Amino acid sequence: MEQLFDAFGIDGKLLIAQLINFGVLFVALTWLLYKPVMKTLDERREKIAKGVEDAELATAKLEGADEEVSRRVQGAETEAEGIVASARDAANTEKARIMKEADARAAQIAVDADLRAKEAAAQALKESEKEVARLAVLAAEKVLRKS
Amino acid sequence: MTGVLAQAGSFFNMLFSVPVAYAAEEAAGEHASGIHVVLKAEEIGSLFGFPITNSLLMTWIVVALLIGFAVLFRRKIALVPGKLQAGIEMLFEGVLNYMSETLEDEKLARKFFPLIMTIFLFVLIANELAFLPGVGSILIEHMGESVPFLRAPAADLNLTLALAIISFLVIEITGVVVLGFFKYAGKYVNFSSPVNFVVGIIELLSNVGRLISFSFRLFGNVFAGEVMIAVAVFFVAYLLPVPLMAFEVFVGFIQAVVFSMLTLFFIKLSIMDPHGDEAH
Repeated sequence: MEQLFDAFGIDGKLLIAQLINFGVLFVALTWLLYKPVMKTLDERREKIAKGVEDAELATAKLEGADEEVSRRVQGAETEAEGIVASARDAANTEKARIMKEADARAAQIAVDADLRAKEAAAQALKESEKEVARLAVLAAEKVLRKS
Repeated sequence: MTGVLAQAGSFFNMLFSVPVAYAAEEAAGEHASGIHVVLKAEEIGSLFGFPITNSLLMTWIVVALLIGFAVLFRRKIALVPGKLQAGIEMLFEGVLNYMSETLEDEKLARKFFPLIMTIFLFVLIANELAFLPGVGSILIEHMGESVPFLRAPAADLNLTLALAIISFLVIEITGVVVLGFFKYAGKYVNFSSPVNFVVGIIELLSNVGRLISFSFRLFGNVFAGEVMIAVAVFFVAYLLPVPLMAFEVFVGFIQAVVFSMLTLFFIKLSIMDPHGDEAH
């Protein structure tokens, strides 16, 4: 065994030195290289996961907003239709009322005109009767004078 | 396991003959022109009686480079990644996902990620940096001998054995912590039937054998690569070593993967419920 160790140059001091070398390297690389890199990887993974989550949330929100918009537009349309319909109704009633009024007024005017015309005719008849009587008197006078 | 042992055995034979041949060559006084193959890392100095080998120095360089990179990189980490950060993140996430699948537990995977990743990065950089010009070729004088100033870290059994010990301890301790001492021990010392007893003993041996297989696999691959390139350079210094080096670069990567993945698999094995408890 001694010979074997000697042939390969195995020396307790060197062996321990190499153990320490590896130990130092192990500790140094763990603190300087592996931990920071792993931390960065984890951070990035977290960030990406958060980004994806945010995007999903935003998409959901957008969908909600779209729904809200269409719902509101529909509401507004219905409302507008209602308004237009009620306006049409009101206009129709108003129209009917105005027409009726106009008809009534026209009838009144016609009646008035008729009445006035009759009155005028009556008056004219009365005046013409007076005139005829006066002319008849005059004609009679003339006839008497000649005779 | 027996296959690994047999491999290691023949490997020993091959390796033991090499330094002998080298020693003979040295005795003949052809030091400068010979193939420089030494099984063990050579001492290039000492600090307060502590031996410093060329492999240890190279290990320090690798550790310093990795920590330096981590320090510089840490400052530039941002939520929106640059190219380098994106690449590193991809590597980390890939490894972590693979570990989660293997261990079937994300928490456990996160706990073991630093260990597996450090083994991978350390072995990878240690293996690949060894191909830099100057490693193995710059010689310095030490105690009257000229020895290479730098040597591939994994071409020193001290390093690979240290890694194997760490891996072994983590595997066994994890088993004990996750399953509890008696349940874990019951995997290996089982008196329920003779067959189970023998199986348990074999598993125990194979667990301890991992220390050898882990350390010698990495050491053998890297060292053999060095020897192969050294021989190729000795015969034809130009062009011929290029494909061999390219292959060794690949081997360096594969060994890093193998060491870290086997550690992962053995962790998974150690936390699995003992046989018999499962509903088959």
